[in-house]
Amino acid sequence: MPKRPVNSNMVPLDGLGIIPERDAGSPPILDIRHLCVDFGGLRAVDDFTLLIGKTEIAGLIGPNGAGKTTVFNLLTNVYKPTQGRILLNGQDTRGKSMHELNRLGIARTFQNIRLFSGMTVEDNVKVGMSHGYTDGVLADMFRLPGWWRTERKQHVRALELLDLFSLTDKADVLAGNLPYGDQRRLEIVRALASEPKLLLLDEPAAGMNPSETHELMDNIRMLRDRFSIAIMLIEHDMNLVMGICEGIAVLNYGRIIAKGTPKEIQRNPVVIEAYLGEEASHA
Amino acid sequence: MDKAMRGYRQIPVYLRYLINILLLAALLALGNHLIVSGAVNRAQKAIILQIGIYALLAVSLNVATGYLGQLPLGHAGFMAVGGYAAAILWKSLPKNTGAMLLGLLLGGLVAAVFGVLIGVPALRLRGDYLAIITLGFGEIIRVLIINLPGITGGTPGLMSIPKHATFPVVYITVIVSCALIHTLMKSRHGRAILAIRENEIAAEASGVNTTFYKVLAFTVSAFFAGVAGALYAGYTGILTPGNFTFMTSINILVMVVLGGLGSMAGSIIAAGILTALPLALQSFNKYRMVIYALLLIVVMIFKPSGLLGRYDFSLTRILEKAVNGRLFPKRGKAGEDHA
Repeated sequence: MPKRPVNSNMVPLDGLGIIPERDAGSPPILDIRHLCVDFGGLRAVDDFTLLIGKTEIAGLIGPNGAGKTTVFNLLTNVYKPTQGRILLNGQDTRGKSMHELNRLGIARTFQNIRLFSGMTVEDNVKVGMSHGYTDGVLADMFRLPGWWRTERKQHVRALELLDLFSLTDKADVLAGNLPYGDQRRLEIVRALASEPKLLLLDEPAAGMNPSETHELMDNIRMLRDRFSIAIMLIEHDMNLVMGICEGIAVLNYGRIIAKGTPKEIQRNPVVIEAYLGEEASHA
Repeated sequence: MDKAMRGYRQIPVYLRYLINILLLAALLALGNHLIVSGAVNRAQKAIILQIGIYALLAVSLNVATGYLGQLPLGHAGFMAVGGYAAAILWKSLPKNTGAMLLGLLLGGLVAAVFGVLIGVPALRLRGDYLAIITLGFGEIIRVLIINLPGITGGTPGLMSIPKHATFPVVYITVIVSCALIHTLMKSRHGRAILAIRENEIAAEASGVNTTFYKVLAFTVSAFFAGVAGALYAGYTGILTPGNFTFMTSINILVMVVLGGLGSMAGSIIAAGILTALPLALQSFNKYRMVIYALLLIVVMIFKPSGLLGRYDFSLTRILEKAVNGRLFPKRGKAGEDHA
């Protein structure tokens, strides 16, 4: 497997964060400013500010319960932020519903897999192709030409996408009957089907063995290169995070305690303390 | 298994359509011949027509319960609205094919309008709450019918409705309706509806407008219930509010559950069994309801997902397997039945 240069040069932008040098010419795909959310009296995410470049692979890490998934849920409007704003590709996402956000270019996977398990692998992917088709309900009921066109297009496209993750020969299998690793991969394929500009992966390597994780790392890079999209991922597997992420944000108790390149994060005493406790950082 | 890669011979689409249409037409001709020649007596004919009407009711309810995964309990309300709309139209028109078609369509459309009106607020709720609000809707319709004697004839009901629902009319209407529901479910819209049943959050995050598709499924369900109601009006010739009680809704729901949530063939078979059984058991009148209840209990114990689960019958798929010599697959190859 040819090794691509993993860590590109990161440059500061507006004093708010860093993005890859190659993306400096275009506005960041995601611009989050001072995001806060309260659950009752608990501030789950506090003053979260982050920039993500147009083709960046970004990592969000932190100990359990730090609020990482909450950030993803804020980005996809599962929760409403108490304060702050999110610009996706320059557009404010406030008040948009989840499916409208999907249309604007955010797609995600879930920490606990949420596939349509009673549907086939191919149909799972086709559900992801939720926009760009114009055939109406009546046209489909009466199988007018629009239905035939859409079915043909979606079938071809679904097999293309499944092929990226070597799932083509399982297209007719029910998603619920897939082995665990394939289910995780299928979730990524389904997210890709909506042609996102930003892909959010919530613990994509959870439950995978080292060789599967390694393959996943190659796949994530391949997706970024092939589709020129930004990918933001939450992950506990540090080999994966340090291996493919260009910018990393570390979250603890809802606050960003460090931002930077993998090298900077690995050396940061605050991060080491958050992960290992105080004594380890003195050792 | 990628069928194309393994040299699995497929029946061309036009041929599938042709086979299905020819067989259905043959069945129509056969049924019609038996009825016209008198081989099927009046009582038997009545059972056949009732089975057709209840099959359509069950199939239409299956759209909202089996495919969308909600639990509405007011299906008789949509049936009533469609039935009365068609009956009122038919009474003011001469009895001909045009009027018949117009009445069926009107019954469906009026019920669909009610489907949207009820669906928009009701589908904001889930589970038990949706069941209760739709139950309430069904009862409201019935009470309205009783209290609007000027339009609906009140408690005694509407009499002498032209009997449009002959065997060919019921047969063709039920077949066409089932076909339309089937084609809808095999399209991107149908997949969106199924996705909501499977996982609503994932569907929404995948870009499915869940509100729209819930209302759509509910409306389609109501439309075909309205058509079935129109058939019912044209079959009995008399409509009274007593035909559309809560028990009617429950009966239809039992058919769907017995047949298997999400299986169209299951709904039709269960509608057949549950319509014919009480009539066949009339001679054991005392034990009729006991047998009926026992049957349900036994099925729910041994096959909780219903008679057919989510399996759907496809003649051409079976033919395809036969052509490829896979009609009787070896052990461990369960084919499509995964219930």
